[in-house]
Amino acid sequence: MSTQKLPLEGVRVVDFTAIWAGPHVTQWLAVMGADVIKIESNIRPDAERAAFIRTTTEPTMSAVFAALNYAKKACTLNMTNPKGRDLAREIIKVSDVVAENFGGAVMDRWGLGYPELKRLKSDIILYSGSGFGRTGPYSELPAFAGIVEALGGMCLLNGYLGSEPLPMATRGYADLTSAQHGAYAILAALYHRSKTGEGQHIDLSMTEVVGALLPEAIMDYTMNDRVPRPQGNRDVAMAPHGCYRCQGDDEWVAIAISNDEEWRAFCNAMGNPEWTNEDRFRDGLSRWKNQEELDQLVGEWTGNRTRFEATDILQKAGVMAGPSLKVEDVAHDPHLAERGFFVELDQPGIGVLPMAGLPWKVVDGPRGDYEHSPALGEHNDYVFKELLKMSDEEMARLQEEEAIL
Amino acid sequence: MSMQALSSLKIVEWAEGVPGPYCGKLLADLGAEVTKVEMPGCGDRARKRGPFPDDIPHPERSGTFLYLNTNKLGVTLDVRSRTGAEVFKRLIEGADILIENHPPSDVARLGFSYENLKKVNPALVMTSITAFGQTGPYCDYSTCNLVSFHASGMAYINPSDGVDDIEQEPPLMGPANQGDLVAGLTGALTTMSAVFARRMTGLGQHVDLSQQEALVSMTRHQLGNYTVEQFPWLRAKEARRPGVSEVYRCSNGLVYLICNDERMWERWVEAMGNPEWAMTELFADRALRRENWDAGKAMVEEWTMERTVEEVVRLAEASRVPCKAINTVRESVHSELLADRGHFVDIHHGEAGNITYPGAPYKLSRTPWQVNRPAPLLGEHNEEVYCGRLGFTRQDLTVMRAQGVI
Repeated sequence: MSTQKLPLEGVRVVDFTAIWAGPHVTQWLAVMGADVIKIESNIRPDAERAAFIRTTTEPTMSAVFAALNYAKKACTLNMTNPKGRDLAREIIKVSDVVAENFGGAVMDRWGLGYPELKRLKSDIILYSGSGFGRTGPYSELPAFAGIVEALGGMCLLNGYLGSEPLPMATRGYADLTSAQHGAYAILAALYHRSKTGEGQHIDLSMTEVVGALLPEAIMDYTMNDRVPRPQGNRDVAMAPHGCYRCQGDDEWVAIAISNDEEWRAFCNAMGNPEWTNEDRFRDGLSRWKNQEELDQLVGEWTGNRTRFEATDILQKAGVMAGPSLKVEDVAHDPHLAERGFFVELDQPGIGVLPMAGLPWKVVDGPRGDYEHSPALGEHNDYVFKELLKMSDEEMARLQEEEAIL
Repeated sequence: MSMQALSSLKIVEWAEGVPGPYCGKLLADLGAEVTKVEMPGCGDRARKRGPFPDDIPHPERSGTFLYLNTNKLGVTLDVRSRTGAEVFKRLIEGADILIENHPPSDVARLGFSYENLKKVNPALVMTSITAFGQTGPYCDYSTCNLVSFHASGMAYINPSDGVDDIEQEPPLMGPANQGDLVAGLTGALTTMSAVFARRMTGLGQHVDLSQQEALVSMTRHQLGNYTVEQFPWLRAKEARRPGVSEVYRCSNGLVYLICNDERMWERWVEAMGNPEWAMTELFADRALRRENWDAGKAMVEEWTMERTVEEVVRLAEASRVPCKAINTVRESVHSELLADRGHFVDIHHGEAGNITYPGAPYKLSRTPWQVNRPAPLLGEHNEEVYCGRLGFTRQDLTVMRAQGVI
């Protein structure tokens, strides 16, 4: 067991984020050792707490909230109350980062915009995540991943050949890729601060993240005035390159061949069926041009075996292949299990269950001992009595006055 | 030129394609000094992948390469040769960070395992980005973006909305290089964590980044639901029209509309002028709407098809119903929003000329993202790095060139 410290130990984050994108940013910081304090209230909890609950009985601890908020603390502050906002200012004075992802200039309206925060703590780093940016024509609009992906051009590139546009439905892709760009920007800002003592304001627009992830399509337009369409599982040059049906219920294998050598290995692995000798498949360019027929024939081979059998045979031959895993496959994947990707948490209201970890692994590095996702206000004592050094009486009074709510 | 956040970090990038280079780009674009090591002759394989201006392939004009390698210095080096390996170690000596994305067995065979390199430089942060990580039963698999994307479950849950008879279609990879870009992005984030760790101990770390894990992490919503609620993701079920949030056709294009609670539905119905059909039993609550949305969508589209995208967006937003056009990249590049935000940047490159690129994914107020140099020509900085930094003479370089080392 390592006794190393986590890299962000000593960094405190005041976390106004909610739902999906914002909490993913702060989860990265929490897992890396930062002291992340979620600011919620009983009249306005993080709405994800109530999302998609089907079988569990705890009304403020949904599975998806639990998956995204472990290692964090939570306190309740009524931000509609001026005394509540004053308490927020006190917490910010002893913190390093403030994170928010409101749909609009809520922080400004609360008197907690960057200039005000800087007066509270000169080296504060404010992270503002939003759909369209804190400046510009849409700065007051809330973000939804589907909308952002639509505006950014991703929907019209995601889909099967000839299909209608489809938002990338990983609930949501734009949210989580934005969150990682955001967490990275915060770490860069913390690094800059460590060198210069300067904080700054980070303004992240999810639509711009989408742009950053579509360079090939955007540049094909800016270079060649051409608008690309969805390509399904196809590639610009490799063939075969696709996903093929196998034995079983809705089970598939992904295969990619990038040169003649791999093609020969692939043919051998399949036992050299007659069709692989046809002229139209014998060289890379011909395979590329005839990939529709090629895909059908490959599908006949894969259709006679399971996706894991196909993967095994092909990988042994040095061919790029892998099963298309379902959600339940991922949850039970032996490779992920061996790598310790899932984190066992004892989550009150749900039980002891494996949660998806973060893809952060340092060889022989520290393993965090993560706390379960916090209940509403679970750490009020820590925040108000320990950090702000309040007496019991003061705290009771503020609760009565509905500043702490 | 403004101050840059990472300007004191020195990085060696021994990586090609997309994952390692995107990681290096994120760091370089915020000011880190990134020296990119490419094989002499052909260089990074991304140079062979387009898009190319006018579809004329040229190793200095690949859009993918040009984008992924902004702000980097470029040197050539055949690390498989003895001389090359020694030069590589000298580069490592002077670096804070090494980014690499080679199969673990190749790295070990060449003598560049972290165990060896940390002897050369105990403070080195080594970020290894691979498809399945350094350990585990799949760690030696041959893979690419397609295979990683599918092995993470992301393909299986993409898309979930609105495809008729989805089980006739295979699970779907995201556009172009999504999986590889996510791996590089996660790499940059985890690299910075190691930089912080090093400040505490003075010692480096080996960051082991698995692309599969980086992508699986993006399915945590579905994983959470499955693990906790025992709710399996079934493509046939999930691909049914979700009612009401989805794509709608207008007279001149498509919109994406969000309508995911009762109040939004009421406002949307009002925006459409309170049509009779929307008040019927079939659409009375969220569950019913979901059940009957094939019919519902048809009715909505009767209304939207009579109006332009601009009109529908205006009417929806006036009722506070989120709605935006579904843009092609052409429309996105020319959009009012992204123009106002200054998102796209023009970069001049010696060989490729002036091209418009996607710009910063974030705005930092004190240390802005900026392009100080375009992507390097193959071996462009050999002299600057090998002579200027490592003390080789020009004659050394000519010998190494003749020997195929650079």
